[in-house]
Order: sequence, then C-alpha cells, then structure tokens
Amino acid sequence: MVSELIIKNLHANIEGKPILRGVDLVVKQGEVHALMGPNGSGKSTLANVIMGNPKYEVTDGEIWFKGENILEYSPDRRARMRLFLAFQYPMSIPGVSVANFLRRSLEAVREGNKPIAEGEQPSGKMGKRKSIPPREFRTLLQEKMRLLKVDNSFINRSINDGFSGGEKKRAEILQMALLEPEIALMDETDSGLDIDALKIVSESVNALTGPNLGILLITHYQRMLNYITPDFVHVMFNGRIVKSGGKELAFELEEKGYEWLKPADEENEVGVNG
Amino acid sequence: MTILTQGLSRGAVEELSRLKGEPEWMLQKRLHAWDVYESTPAPLGRRGDLGTVRAVANFKYQDINPYVPVTDSLSATIEQSLREAMVDTRAGLVVQRNASVVRTELDAELRSKGVILTDLDSAVREYPELVQQYFMTNCVPVESNKYTAMHAAFWSGGVFLYIPKGVEIEEPILSQIWIDAPASATFAHTLIIAEEMSSVRFVNEYNSDFTDERPSFLNDVVEVYARNAARVEFSNMQDLGLNVWNVTNKNAVHEKDASTTWVLADLGSKVNLANIGASLRGHGSVAELVGVFFTDQDQRFSMHTLSDHAAVATNAETLVKGVLTDQSRVEFEGMIRVQPKAQQTASFLSDHTLLLSKECRAESIPGLEIGANEVSASHGATTGQIDEEQLFYLMVRGIARPEAERIIVQGFFEPVLQRVPLENLRARLRRSIVRRMRGAYESEADTWVDAQERWEIEGVDEHAVQLDGPKADEEIQLSEY
Repeated sequence: MVSELIIKNLHANIEGKPILRGVDLVVKQGEVHALMGPNGSGKSTLANVIMGNPKYEVTDGEIWFKGENILEYSPDRRARMRLFLAFQYPMSIPGVSVANFLRRSLEAVREGNKPIAEGEQPSGKMGKRKSIPPREFRTLLQEKMRLLKVDNSFINRSINDGFSGGEKKRAEILQMALLEPEIALMDETDSGLDIDALKIVSESVNALTGPNLGILLITHYQRMLNYITPDFVHVMFNGRIVKSGGKELAFELEEKGYEWLKPADEENEVGVNG
Repeated sequence: MTILTQGLSRGAVEELSRLKGEPEWMLQKRLHAWDVYESTPAPLGRRGDLGTVRAVANFKYQDINPYVPVTDSLSATIEQSLREAMVDTRAGLVVQRNASVVRTELDAELRSKGVILTDLDSAVREYPELVQQYFMTNCVPVESNKYTAMHAAFWSGGVFLYIPKGVEIEEPILSQIWIDAPASATFAHTLIIAEEMSSVRFVNEYNSDFTDERPSFLNDVVEVYARNAARVEFSNMQDLGLNVWNVTNKNAVHEKDASTTWVLADLGSKVNLANIGASLRGHGSVAELVGVFFTDQDQRFSMHTLSDHAAVATNAETLVKGVLTDQSRVEFEGMIRVQPKAQQTASFLSDHTLLLSKECRAESIPGLEIGANEVSASHGATTGQIDEEQLFYLMVRGIARPEAERIIVQGFFEPVLQRVPLENLRARLRRSIVRRMRGAYESEADTWVDAQERWEIEGVDEHAVQLDGPKADEEIQLSEY
C-alpha cells in the first residue's frame, strides 16, 4: 500500500502569530512535489509542523500519515513512521560522531511506529534493546556513502560541527539515504550551495527517488528544479497554498515571479520568516 | 583507647601516634598540626555563594571516629572491585581500607630498580629522611588551611611512592581507598616523589561501601613532587556514596621542565570540597588539569583550582566540564596566578557546565592575577541548558527525547574524555555518566563505547571514495562546546 501524507486545513502559530492559515496538501510515496513561494510564506513552518517542532502551536486542522492522525505524536515517533526532514539549517552537535549518531538513529527508526519505552525500569533494573552490529552498520553506511559520493572523513567528525554549507546539506541527504523514509520533506536543500554543490546534491536526491519515496521539495528558487523534475508544483503565499500545477508552473514562476499569484485580500499583510 | 573512638582532640592525636609507635618527630608534627587546626578559623566561603564551604565547616566532627583500623584485610566488595578494576595490568597496587593499608604490591623489577611503593606509616619508619623532607612541607604545607592541618594531625595509612632518577614506569600504579565504616573519618595521604627524568602514571580511586545514614568523612591530601624533567600523570576517580563527605587538597610541585597531568573525575559524595593546585616553580614546567563532574540529587561540590606560575616559560591548561541535575549545586573557582618573574608564561582555563534540571545551580568564577607582562593567559566559563533545537534535530531522526538528552550530554563530555589518557578509565567514565542519567538501557553506554573505539581503531575503509583528496584536518574535530 502506498503511504500518504495528508494535510487538511492546517493552521499553526509561533508565539501567538499565525503562520499557517489553512494548508491543504497530499503527498504520496513515489511522487515529487515542489513547494515554492516567497520568503516568509510559511514553507519551512509547514515542514517543521509536520515533524512536530514544539516551537509551533497547531491551532486547527489535521495531519494524517499512513492512515493515522499524527498531530499528537512526538517528533521521534513521526520519524519512526518514516517521515523525514532534511533541515534548512542542520544543527551541529559537538562531540557526537556522525557514525554513532546514525547508527543509533537507524536502530531507532527500525523500531517502527510505537512509543519507545525507557530502558531503566522503576525497579532500577536496566532493559536491553536491539542493536545493529557495528560491522553490519558500517557496510550499510559505506554503501550509501559510495552511492552519494560522500567523503569518508564524514563519519568520524562531530555532527555538522565545522561542516561547510554544502557538507551539511550532503550529510542530510546521507541520513535520508540511510533511514529510507517513505515521505521526505526537504527544506531549502538548495540554499547556500554553489552550482557544483547544487549539482551533486541534486544528483544525490535523484539517486534516491523511486516508487518508495515521496518528496516535498521546499525551495524559493526554480534552479534546483533544473536537476530534479517535480510531478507537482505548489505555490504558497501567506500561509496558504494558492496555486497548484504540474512542472510547467515552476517555469511560469521563474518568468513572472510571485506577485501575480498574490491574493487580492492580502495586499497589506507582511510575511513572517519561516 | 576510648579517647580515640569519637571526636577530634589533642588527646586523640597523641593516642593515635602512640598506637602507631611513631618516632617523636612525627608526634611533634601531628601536635603542631593540631595547634594549627585549633587556631585556624574554618573557611566559610564568600557572601552569597552556594553555601558548600560553610556546610563543610558545620559538619559534626565530634560525632565521627577519627581512627578505624582494620585487621581483616580485603572485603568481598574490594576483592570484586580489584578483579574488575579499570587498570587490568598494573605495575603496583595499594589498597587502603578506612585507616589501614591492607594490601601493597609492586612489580619485582621496579623494586630492583629502587622504586619504593609502601604505606606511609611504614615509610615513616623506613625512610624518615624522605618523609621529613617531603611530607606536608613544601607541596601541601600543614598550614595551608584548617582541613590540611586536621589531616596532618590525624593522617593514617597512606601511600608513599618514590621513583629514582631516570626510572620510567609504564604500567599504571593503582591505589584504592575504601570507606566502609559509618560515622568514621579517613585521612588518606598520597606522597609521590618523582626524581629527575622519571615518569609514572598513578590512578587513585575513592570508593565507599556502607549503607548506614550516619555520614563518614574523607579528608585526603595528595602531594606530587615532579623533579627536573619528571612526568607524573595522576588520575582520580571519586565515586563515593552519598553518605560520605569529601575534603581533598591536591598539589603538584614542578621543578625545571617537569610536567604533570591531573585527571579528576568526581561523580560521588554528598559534599565535596576540592583544592587542586599546580605549583610551576621550575623553568619550562607544564601542568594540565582535566576535570569531569556529574552531580545529582542534593550533592554539593565546591572546586577550587590554582595554576601558580612562579618561573619563566611555564605552561598550564585547565579544562573542566560538568553536568548538574536534580537539586545539586556546584561552585567552581579557577585561578590563574602569574608571579612577576614568570615571564613568557601561557595559561588557559575553561569551565563549561550543563544544567539538566530547573532546580540545580552552578556558579563559576574564573580569576586572573597577572604580575608579569609577557604573558598569554585567558579563561572562559559557560553555563547553560541543553539546546531545544539540538534536541529537535535528534528527535527528528527517530531518537526519543530522554535518549537525545543523554546523547547531547555525552557529546558535551566527549572532548574532555578524549583527554583522559587511560582507556579503561575513559570507558568507565562513559558508563558511569550514562548510568547517572535515568532511563538508560543496559547496553547504551557500551554501544557508544564500542562504536566510538571501533571506528577509531578500524579507521576508514580502503574502498571508500575520496572526493576531494586527503584533507589537512582529517583528525576528529572535537570543538569546544
């Protein structure tokens, strides 16, 4: 069965300010959607709300994934259902090596869709859990690294710590390759990349696409779409999707900009970053 | 005998010395110390501090037994601990249980080279000149503070280590101190004399093994003399129970080109008052201090470090990282003192603290006293909570919040753990830290250790793709947190 991410009439605030104001969207496994729109239209907020970032408050609407309303689920459980977010600004975590982190992450994601209990029991006894043997993990990771042409020195470095912009984005794609999500949200994966890095990252994404992966590609440039061909293009404006179409819509946007899509009743509203 | 069963008094000092059959000079040293103790006011800390120093001053010293000798040697717990000890191959061993040293071992070859490892009581009889010259004179003088005076009056057991000129001891020497008597005081002393060009790695463990609520008190002193170009590495693992109070004074005296390393891991004890020093008196000497602590429940720590530069071209680096949770409190005062003649000195100090609960409190006061003008010195301190954005990042990768917190804490400690020279101590610290955080899985720390060490050992795969050619900075980047 094909997994579906269904967003219905989604409203969300940050610090009391409304950002999402009724988003409707369906992304299925195997489809590539591009979500475009000017800065501050709410694209990144949508990605964060789908993953359950506690900074945002959902005030109305629903998010369904694989037939379950996931609004009450913690971010980690959503990830274990195989939802993925490639961050626009990946956090660096000093002292935690990429290898150890990815191994734990893969172990967790393989636990699947259930709340994870803590190891220590009230009696003080410590529980055991399944782990992936280091050798098996290493083989798998190296296979993915070869596929994405990622440099081996990545694995012993601290997560994103001291990484260049391009390295951070490629590390995100590596994580995506390893965790095998069913739906991946890619937040401004093209931002901050020069043309060579953009090409490498785009090729990596293309290497991962297929019937098992649905992608929501968030971007405000058309340029990444020179490399990745979307099945659907949506335009977001002030917290709503105001137009949807096929890949030709992206070219139209490139030509005309966003202004012509601006709803007449929102002339004077100022977008908020995110 | 009754006079030595409860409380501190001049009579108890005399009785203790008589029981040990000590020479007159040691009795006189003890009595002098008693007088200093009596006439020195207890330090009470600063106004508005977290109150730990004052709490130590208010401890009920009259309720404790200052001398609990042990005749039966090792308890079952100690036997087991020695089997599992973090130092599996060692050049020597000393085990002190309460007031008595119950086991001493030294590699025969080292003994033939003139290395001396014995309890301090024996050293007083067998090597009186060395003890008179070095014991609480120049390194941690009797008069340093009220607690060093108390220690000098009541010390018992103890370790005496003498390394002759040019002897390098490769395997570590392990010393364990066990407290298993409630309402007791233990005054353990470690005296290390490393002669010219010698080297040693010394590992000190403090443990306790009793459940009684009546608190016991450990007042220990460590003195290290690093003579010309000697190298001494001293690792301390303090894992006492919450019914033990610990006051510790440690100092290392450096002669020309000597170098020392303090590795201090403080996890246990109810109250811990620590003074750690490096006296850089010789041209070109080097001192390093790496400190790790983790406090929970109602633990209180007060840690004071001093890098004392008294000679030209001396170097010191102090790096302390700690995590607090529950209602615990930690004060840290790190002082860099550069005396007027100590030109071309470099000294650095950093202290970083992570707070895991709303109720815990940390205070960090770095200090600089610079009397020379050709000096490079800096200090930095940070105190903060776990970053919510970092947590979200880990959670979006499937890791539940409590474990995400544990991972961030491990990452926080990792740069200092990398500086811990003994692999077994490093592994044990990782395990202890993970276990201190509730909810961990049995294998969690081990998984982490295995992965970490294995990746380090096996290195990179030869079939791997090298995109940009070898980079200049290929070693693990562990930036400061």
